[in-house]
Amino acid sequence: MTGGQDLNARAERLSRRRARLLPVLAVLYLGQQISYFAEPSGAGGRAVDYVKVSAWLVLSVVLLALLITKGFWFHGRAVRDLIDDENTRANRHDALRVGFVAAMLTGIFLYFLDQFEPMPARHAVHAIMSLGLGAALIRFGMLERRAHREG
Amino acid sequence: MAEGLTNRLKELRAARGLTQAELAALVGVTRKTVNTVENGVFVPSTILALKLARALGVPVEALFLLDG
Repeated sequence: MTGGQDLNARAERLSRRRARLLPVLAVLYLGQQISYFAEPSGAGGRAVDYVKVSAWLVLSVVLLALLITKGFWFHGRAVRDLIDDENTRANRHDALRVGFVAAMLTGIFLYFLDQFEPMPARHAVHAIMSLGLGAALIRFGMLERRAHREG
Repeated sequence: MAEGLTNRLKELRAARGLTQAELAALVGVTRKTVNTVENGVFVPSTILALKLARALGVPVEALFLLDG
C-alpha cells in the first residue's frame, strides 16, 4: 500500500467512526436535556444543579467544536486535512444550516410559549442551544453515513 | 444525481482498473467523496472535477455531461 493509500485508509476509518458516533452522541445529548427539563428546578441554587448545568455547557462546547472544526485533534495534520475534504465540508455546511433553522424555530416557539407560561432566560437559551446543536449533529451524522454507503 | 448532470466516473474508473480508494488517493480526497460523486449525491467543485479527469486521462467534459 502506498503512503497516499495508507493515509486514505486511515482517513476512511476515522471518518466512518465519526459517522457512526455523531448520531449516537446527538441522541445522548438530547436525552440528557429531557432529564434537565423534566426537573424544572435544574437551574436552582443547589450544588448538584450547578454541576449539571456546567456539564451540559462543557458537553455543548465540545460537541460544537467537533462540529465546526475538522475534529480528530490528536491526529496528524495530513489525515485531518484529508478527512475534511470537500464532501465533508459540504455536509457540514448543510448540517449547520439545519441546526440554525432548528435553533430559530425553537426560539420562535419559545417566544410564543412565554406569553402563556413565562420561563427563565436560562431555560430558553438551554433549549435553543440544545435543539440547534442536536439537529446539526444528527444531520451531519446522517449525511456522512449516507456518503459512506457504497453505491 | 444533480439535476441535468450525469457523470461517467464509475465507468471510466472501472475501465482503468482503479478502485474508489485508489482514485481517491490519486486526487487527494477520501473514498467517500469519490463514492458520492459516482452516485450523483455530490457535485464536485471545478478543481476536483478537473483533478478526476486528469487522473483518468480524459477531458472533463467526457467525465461530466449535461443532459439534453
